[in-house]
Amino acid sequence: MKAFRLCAAFLFAAVLGHAHVGSPDIYLEGKAGPYQLFVTVRPPLTIPGVAEIEVRSESPGVREIHAVPLAMTGAGSKFPPIADLLTASPRDSQFFTGSLWMMTSGSWQVRLTVDGAQGQAILSVPVPSMARASKRMEFGLGAMLSVLGIFLMAGITAIIGAASREAKLDPGQRPAPANLQSGRKATIVGAIIVVAIVVGGDYWWNSEADDYSLRIYKPLQMAASVSGANLSLKMSEPGWMQAKTLEQAAYRVFIRKMDDFVPDHGHIMHLYAIRQPGMDVIYHLHPEQREDGTFALALPSITAGHYKLYADIVHANGFPETMVSEIDLPELNSRALAGDDASASTIPWQRASTSNTVFTLPDGYKMEWLRNDKPLFANQGVSFNFRLTTPDGGVPSDMALYMGMLGHAAFVKTDGTVFAHIHPNGSVSMAALMLTGNSGGDGMNMEMPGMKMAVPNTVSFPYGFPSPGRYRIYVQMKHGSTVETGVFDAVTAGT
Amino acid sequence: MASIPAQHSDLASLSQPRVLASERTSAVPWYIWCAVFATTSATVGAYWDISWHESIGRDTFWTPAHLAIQLCGVLAGIAFGYLILHTTFAKNSPLAAASVHIFGFRAPLGAFIASWGGIAMLTSAPFDNWWHDAYGLDVKIVSPPHILLIIGVYSVVIGTLVLLAGHMNRTQADSHTTENRLILYINGIMLTQVMILLMESTQRVLLHSVRAYLVSAALPPIVLALASRLTRYRFAATWVAAFYTLFRIGLILVLPLFPAEPKLGPVYQQVTHFIPEEFPLLYIFPAFALDLLWQRTKSWSDWKVSAASGVVWASVFLAVEWPFASFLMSPASRNWFFGTGYLYYALPPASYAVRNVFYPSTYTALEFGLYMLACFLIGTLAIRWGIARGEWLGKIKR
Repeated sequence: MKAFRLCAAFLFAAVLGHAHVGSPDIYLEGKAGPYQLFVTVRPPLTIPGVAEIEVRSESPGVREIHAVPLAMTGAGSKFPPIADLLTASPRDSQFFTGSLWMMTSGSWQVRLTVDGAQGQAILSVPVPSMARASKRMEFGLGAMLSVLGIFLMAGITAIIGAASREAKLDPGQRPAPANLQSGRKATIVGAIIVVAIVVGGDYWWNSEADDYSLRIYKPLQMAASVSGANLSLKMSEPGWMQAKTLEQAAYRVFIRKMDDFVPDHGHIMHLYAIRQPGMDVIYHLHPEQREDGTFALALPSITAGHYKLYADIVHANGFPETMVSEIDLPELNSRALAGDDASASTIPWQRASTSNTVFTLPDGYKMEWLRNDKPLFANQGVSFNFRLTTPDGGVPSDMALYMGMLGHAAFVKTDGTVFAHIHPNGSVSMAALMLTGNSGGDGMNMEMPGMKMAVPNTVSFPYGFPSPGRYRIYVQMKHGSTVETGVFDAVTAGT
Repeated sequence: MASIPAQHSDLASLSQPRVLASERTSAVPWYIWCAVFATTSATVGAYWDISWHESIGRDTFWTPAHLAIQLCGVLAGIAFGYLILHTTFAKNSPLAAASVHIFGFRAPLGAFIASWGGIAMLTSAPFDNWWHDAYGLDVKIVSPPHILLIIGVYSVVIGTLVLLAGHMNRTQADSHTTENRLILYINGIMLTQVMILLMESTQRVLLHSVRAYLVSAALPPIVLALASRLTRYRFAATWVAAFYTLFRIGLILVLPLFPAEPKLGPVYQQVTHFIPEEFPLLYIFPAFALDLLWQRTKSWSDWKVSAASGVVWASVFLAVEWPFASFLMSPASRNWFFGTGYLYYALPPASYAVRNVFYPSTYTALEFGLYMLACFLIGTLAIRWGIARGEWLGKIKR
């Protein structure tokens, strides 16, 4: 049966990330009132679909946690559905798990209501929702459905034949040759009709699958070009979440635009340029959007090479995206790095050791990865801790916030399939986090007017590698007016 | 494929009087009651399930609504499977002589059709489950696995009709009041089920679009013509349409009495009770018109009757539904009876139903005329097909 054979041929798009590349899981470390939580949300592959959620309370006394998904903005954010009670682990009373339905693509939040010894408090976790792939039919199910399908086809054809041959005969009457002839004709006609229905069904199935494939997430496309020292990034829409009819426009809540970006910790775009294939030179820059929609930037001095570009933007509803492109850049001796720009240069990852935990910076300062001896596993959320010290190992006296936070990190897989831009709060965009109305957490919003707070020389990033393999981690911290970028290498085993 | 099996020669040894003796009274046999219950269960379950999706959203295979639907398949499978096996293998089975032969088995034709429907329904369950995994939980009715389920339910309904017709045609009675009433009831079930298939094309917001009138000409008249021709009742079509109308109004009156809250987001409409389907289409008026027409055209040829019926059906339906749809968009209809204030929790504020406006459709006079002509033609063919099926059912004896 063609339809069932075709189903096995389905699939499937590459598993995409969102605000990141190839790293769909959400990691957030934040406070629900007095409770410090480490939250992991694993969005579903298909939409609608079920997201898995894990919450670890790092504060004692949490009795129960309810979770509910709701739209980040607009009418859908006003009426939450009934919240689900997360299940406490029998072995660890402060570890809770559950599942949540994500019904539409767009910008969502998971609202956690925590009840415990210190009362009730709320933490909202931004969760971008999008279909990332389809699913192949297992052989066993395909075989079973094929057998049943063939049986149904044969059965209905035989029923049509029997109806014509015998149904009108008196009880006990034997079919005459004319009845037998009529039955044979009806069987043939019935078979033709059944085959026509199956062919039509096959066409319909393909059309439904094509329609679904349009809903599979495709990031905004970006074409990069350079003229002199001027970098230009031109976006284009590959056709995701667009309304083609009036009906779609009325019922589709999120229609992606290219002119609705909001600043994410002070910048409309965060551009990472990483030289290939060694990933040995990195720039973190901040192009501005011009009136024609193009992003542009006067490049600082650049080391020549072939660069992979990862450009992070956030839509007005909090939906984050990473656009990807590549470009060959010439050697440029133009301006020095300025403002929040940052760069680093080191040895290629192929020659680097994954056991090295200290990175010496150009000014003699050192950045250290405070890791234990435990191996890293894929899909396991952990805190990555880093410390910045003076050349003699002391605490810098002029530690400063970098774009309002203790630091930034980019986790990049060496095969280019993963890029994740992480903050001390986790993998969510700060702009989306602000839309949830959370009161804040560690490492975020530390700049208070009229208040001078001591900035620590350590920073922590909650994250989990999405797949086994070799990764490079770029960490940025600031002291005085210097943005330091440390580079570390890691290898991750399968779960 | 449909060769006569070896058992067929046994028919020579079975005497017709013996069969008739076993069914000489027109008492409706147990398996028909079983089929009637199964189809009722599927119908109630289907509407309950749709309401569940519009009110609560989240479900599992084990919701009562799903169980009511699948009970139909299970009952059909067990009851008719038993009937087929008993008729095939039991000695002196009273139905052996009134059987058709398929794949070496024998039983009344309706038992095979209903069993086939039951298997189709059960096949749709794993198919639908996979569909959800591959393409996401569907929030629409018309999808390939749902269509397989609907075809399965229709087959159980059709199988029941065939069993009833065969039983009635074999037995001798002054009148077959119970059978005829059951036939009307089953046709009412059929029309109510057909309207699930047409639900997405006949929403309130589409009632000023030709789509709703084209699909209304295509399927409902088949059921009405079949019921009328099979029972020969004067107001058969009206009774069948009345069943559908009262069933749907009953849902509007009953479902909101039970509390329900969305368990899925986004929630755009606050829902506190089960949401019923929209007010029934006013098929009862064109159905009554058809009954009146058919009472006066008994001497006409079937094609002539069908052509006149196609025109009457489409014209009367358009004349009553179009202005009534305008009323359904007005604040006056947002009450406990017409129920247009009951909105599916995930209807966005910008949607036509929430704004109480029709989906924009503009036609020139010529275009509208051509569409109406298409309604007449489709209605003619549908009624001719219904008459033919009704005539055929009136003759079957197995």
